[in-house]
Amino acid sequence: MAVRALSLSDCRVLIVDDNEFNRKSLALVIRRAGITDIAFAENGREGLAAVDRFRPDLVLLDVDMPVMNGLEMCETLRRNAAHEQLPVLFQTALDSDEEQVRCFEAGGNDFISKPIKPGECVARVRHQLEKRKLFTDLAAFRERVQRELTHARAMQTSLLPESRRLTEVADRYGLTLDAHFETSSELGGDFWGLYPLGDRRLGLLMVDFAGHGITAAINTFRLHTLIDRLPMQHMAPSQWLVQLNAALKDVLPTGQFATAFFGILDLATDLLTFAAAGSPNPVLGTPAAPGGDGPRIRLLDSAGLVLGASRRAQYVDQSHRLPRGGFLFLYSDALIECGGDELGPLGQDAVPDFVRDALARDRQHPLRPMMEDFYARASLPLRDDLTAVWAARRA
Amino acid sequence: MGRLEFTDHDRLRDIVGLVERSDMARFVIDLSALEFIDSAGLGMLLILQEETETRNVRMIVQGAAGDVKRSIDLARLGEIITIAS
Repeated sequence: MAVRALSLSDCRVLIVDDNEFNRKSLALVIRRAGITDIAFAENGREGLAAVDRFRPDLVLLDVDMPVMNGLEMCETLRRNAAHEQLPVLFQTALDSDEEQVRCFEAGGNDFISKPIKPGECVARVRHQLEKRKLFTDLAAFRERVQRELTHARAMQTSLLPESRRLTEVADRYGLTLDAHFETSSELGGDFWGLYPLGDRRLGLLMVDFAGHGITAAINTFRLHTLIDRLPMQHMAPSQWLVQLNAALKDVLPTGQFATAFFGILDLATDLLTFAAAGSPNPVLGTPAAPGGDGPRIRLLDSAGLVLGASRRAQYVDQSHRLPRGGFLFLYSDALIECGGDELGPLGQDAVPDFVRDALARDRQHPLRPMMEDFYARASLPLRDDLTAVWAARRA
Repeated sequence: MGRLEFTDHDRLRDIVGLVERSDMARFVIDLSALEFIDSAGLGMLLILQEETETRNVRMIVQGAAGDVKRSIDLARLGEIITIAS
């Protein structure tokens, strides 16, 4: 990468040398290169104090000095995290291989030969200062992005139902609700929500935008705004998805889309009515008949044109009985597609047994053992965002 | 055997370039050697569909099997892309 010649005028250099003549000639050389902010010290101990006081961008350091020599000073600097990256250039006699090795071992970045050759000296100083500038720019950039991502992540989390809300909705509708949400990087493209529609009906939505990271996350914010504008109250889930699809098609560029599940649970009729747009197959459990061996667990068909791909998309409603003691398990594709080195991904077909095993370990809150099993096999960081929602009707 | 996923977006540009430069009437994508496709991979098929459509090229996706076929069927891409078996 080509680096534009850096102006040295705003760089600060500390010269540490017990010989006044050397200090003056070094200063003369680097002043000609445009460095005007120069401080001096006469031995290592003074040098350390000057580093703290003057905050140089580079130190030109002599080796042999009274009180504290240059090697000791450099070693002391390197032990301090604040000065780990401070460039130190030793002045050494070029013919002493051994001394040069000692300078590097003490933590020096480079050396300039004595007697000072102005061209070489300026070139090496410039090289170190440019490296430092690139490094600090990159570090500052990284820090800023990290800070913004942390902030954005909190915003994304705030789009999802918090645990107090889960408890509130669960109590109102006689449900057990547990949820897990983890993004593969700081931000993700998964979204889910609970939408009370009067006292006996509850809407359940899960959406997964293609890809992950910042682009997908921006789409979840778009979605959140759209949902508020699309009332669910007097509409079949399929109709609502048609509207959401049209709205997303308007804003999503080609190639970006979302899979979705939208269902309405009616407590009065014990029916779950849903429409899907290519989400992974939800798991429906219905309580065992008296004398039966455990609940009946099956995958529901969730094929449907993904959201945002075509304005003409149509969706189909399905209704299934979800009586007391029954459950619905929704998840994003990471659950079945993320595997590890030893065991591959779970795969769609294994999900019913995966749920059955978890229920055997924790009848009330099987999401916990499910996540334990998932994380035991999956390599981290996850390749995709994981969302999993357990919604069961209390018996 | 291959995978088409999130990390392959740079290669998509090459394929789109290919479609742009040539004057073909039919563009056949053979997925028979593909063993996995994720949502980003499906998105790439949608992008190629639009690129070919705007250039009056007929795009056909063929050879999808196993999990790849399952993903394409689940997302019902057959409603907008010509899928041949």
